Amino acid sequence: MSKQIKSLLQQAELYRSQGLLREAKKKYKLVEELIAGSDKLPNKQKLLNGLSKKMEALNRDVENIEKAPTTPEMSAHVNELIKKLFSFSSKDKDAGNSALEGAIALAKFGQFEGALEEFEKLLNVKSQRLSAAKNILRCHLEMGDIETATEKLEKWQKGDLLVSEQIEKLTVFYDDILEKKGLKKEPVVEEASAETASQEEKFEEEEEFLDISAVAITFDSGPYKGEQVELDVSFQSGNVISLIISSKDEALIENLKVGVRLDDVHFYSPVAIFRGAGLVSAMTQIKSGPKKGDYSLDIKIESL
Amino acid sequence: MAVFNLKKREIECKIVYYGPGRCGKTTNLEYIFKAYKKQVEGEMVSINTEGDRTLFFDFLPMELGKIKGCDVRVQLFTVPGQVQYSSTRKLVLRGVDGIIFVADSLEVRREKNMLSLKDLQQNLKDYGLNIFKIPMILQYNKRDLADEGMPIMPIEKMEKDLNRQLKVPSFPGSAVKGDGVGVTLQECLKRTLHSLQKQFNWAQK
Ligand SMILES: Nc1nc2c(ncn2[C@@H]2O[C@H](COP(=O)(O)OP(=O)(O)OP(=O)(O)O)[C@@H](O)[C@H]2O)c(=O)[nH]1
Ligand SMILES: [Mg+2]
Repeated sequence: MSKQIKSLLQQAELYRSQGLLREAKKKYKLVEELIAGSDKLPNKQKLLNGLSKKMEALNRDVENIEKAPTTPEMSAHVNELIKKLFSFSSKDKDAGNSALEGAIALAKFGQFEGALEEFEKLLNVKSQRLSAAKNILRCHLEMGDIETATEKLEKWQKGDLLVSEQIEKLTVFYDDILEKKGLKKEPVVEEASAETASQEEKFEEEEEFLDISAVAITFDSGPYKGEQVELDVSFQSGNVISLIISSKDEALIENLKVGVRLDDVHFYSPVAIFRGAGLVSAMTQIKSGPKKGDYSLDIKIESL
Repeated sequence: MAVFNLKKREIECKIVYYGPGRCGKTTNLEYIFKAYKKQVEGEMVSINTEGDRTLFFDFLPMELGKIKGCDVRVQLFTVPGQVQYSSTRKLVLRGVDGIIFVADSLEVRREKNMLSLKDLQQNLKDYGLNIFKIPMILQYNKRDLADEGMPIMPIEKMEKDLNRQLKVPSFPGSAVKGDGVGVTLQECLKRTLHSLQKQFNWAQK
């Protein structure tokens, strides 16, 4: 047992040193349970005290990470770099759009002051005027300054920088975000004209149905209510997967009647785990062979 | 996104290190920065937050010299792996030409690897790119931890988890020691330049 504890502690220390704090915590918890549940350990209380110190330190790490600023002030040099690295339109062919993309990148990285400077300049570029104006409003709102945003809008409404159609669009846009405000957490910034970007990057797409190697089903009713059961997939045809269920597993068979909808399924594919839903579409008892008596169950994948 | 200047015979392409938080993407780049000084063009820029986690990206520009009569430049990026930085991750991925997916060999990170690959697939798809077609390499990082008795996954298991369908080249690695870092990058560059050649026919015959 002390060997096991030692190994778990080593793991916990390593995970912590790599910043895998949740994983570290889990191991510490496990050690705590082991120690608490044992009556053979001679210096039990001392061990537990040491452990709780470690867990406290870990909690402090977590706290520091959680309250770290998400938008650091960056040097002018880095701001220039971001503008350069994240403007994708050609500077020669479409300078305006290229500059807009750079400014949007700054805003997305939380550099609102720098972004505002760029957007203000872009108000002078006719083709970018409306996008620039929208983003200026967004930036002020993201900085929590509704007053300035509203003032700017009013100024544009009265002035002649924008034509009336643009002003109308801008006003609708502004009302819309004000309404949504408080709902979105991450700063959302108006994309540069999507067409140019997608034309360049669009290649043909191909839908391939992924191989599912296993599923984990969480049941919301029946004998397995609240539990997650992992099962291997034995066969797949398109979006129907087949699983074998042992005849001994009566409770599971009970839970997986034909027609039952499974709303919480993890589909394990080689590419990734997908969360989705499925429908039990068939259940047949195997009549011969090594799995005789067991059940073959079909699940139709309804959504991934 | 690759930039060509056919008159000057220059190419610039973008390679992105992707993978779950703490898997070792930044460590890969740091090693390259130290070990390939001659090819590095300027400084490595890292924008981090508490605990050395990448907040926005790491950036390392390289100059590979002449390949088939063309001056080849590469921009290496890492994305922030932590789940909450998804919009930044997507932004950094934009315009990518080749991907190095760094997977964490630690058993406790198994599911995170798979989720990150799924996230990559989705983000590529949003940009109209197909994960099965883009030049890509897998790196199974932190193999050195086996020597310290840490529970890590056997390569075969990781291949099954991550590479059964992709079927891309994969390399074991230890970014802290530098093992596997070079070959991973070289193979990715090879594939990326090959794919760009097919698309744009840049090489001198
Ligand atoms: N033992 C060992 N540790 C490694 C290896 N590669 C990275 N690490 C450690 O893992 C931790 C995270 O490494 P990073 O390179 O910052 O990971 P990252 O993928 O950039 O993480 P994010 O920026 O949060 O996405 C650090 O403590 C590294 O020292 C490796 O090959 N072996
Ligand atoms: Mg990093």
